[in-house]
Amino acid sequence: MNLENDLKRVLRRESPPAGFAGRVLERIEAEQTHRRPVWWRAAAASVTLGLLLGGYATHRVVEHRRGEAAKEQILTAMRIAGEKVRYAQQEVQQIGTPRP
Amino acid sequence: MTAIVPQTFDFPTALTRAQAGDHEAFADLVEQHEGMVYGLAFHFFGDRSRAEEVAQDAFLQLYRNLGSIESDAHLLFWLRQVTTRRCIDVQRRVKMKAVSLDDAVELRAADKWQDPLLDRRLKQLVQQLPDVQRAVVTLRYQEDLDPSEICRIVGMPVNTVKSHLHRALQALRRKLEKQS
Repeated sequence: MNLENDLKRVLRRESPPAGFAGRVLERIEAEQTHRRPVWWRAAAASVTLGLLLGGYATHRVVEHRRGEAAKEQILTAMRIAGEKVRYAQQEVQQIGTPRP
Repeated sequence: MTAIVPQTFDFPTALTRAQAGDHEAFADLVEQHEGMVYGLAFHFFGDRSRAEEVAQDAFLQLYRNLGSIESDAHLLFWLRQVTTRRCIDVQRRVKMKAVSLDDAVELRAADKWQDPLLDRRLKQLVQQLPDVQRAVVTLRYQEDLDPSEICRIVGMPVNTVKSHLHRALQALRRKLEKQS
């Protein structure tokens, strides 16, 4: 018995089941359909980033405007309150003084 | 007088045509090398479906790296290397030890002049070798490669490859003698 000859016989090349090349090409085609080109992915990423930044900027502007409006309302309220306080002071000072 | 000089024209090989995007040429390449790639995977795993999967993966990887292949000889080396390393990686991950007896019987059906029992037993013993030894033995006897060529494929020093081969043959001899 010659082991090396036996191994050569046992370990010879093997043909895969019929249609192997076709199955490889099918996998390549499937992969190509799923895989978008690099420029497409870059463009999609840019659009997404643009939308995110735009959304954030809009959100900031809206918040700023709301803040301004709230500030305006507080100032108006304080002005009104100040006038009321001034009026009340005048009324208090006039207590005890003969009214014309 | 005008001399007629035979004009030599190099027809583009399947490799160069495939590199230019010709799918039929790529299919030719697959058909040219499928026996080698599938054989390496089949002898490594002893399982047809696993071998098909690994062989397909190797050709898919080839398709993605076609541009880096420099010649037909480089292609052969590249495929042997990718297939062998992928087999070892997959085996490490899966740790499967399935030996399909149906495959072994089917494999030997054509060898009517050989002892089918011996061949089947030898095939099973090869399957029981450690992963790297099995890969080295397959490259040595399926592809008829020297240790100096095998060491480039598996990325090991040549003496390590020789030692793996020696130990594998010793183990096979010992087990065969034990049984006879």
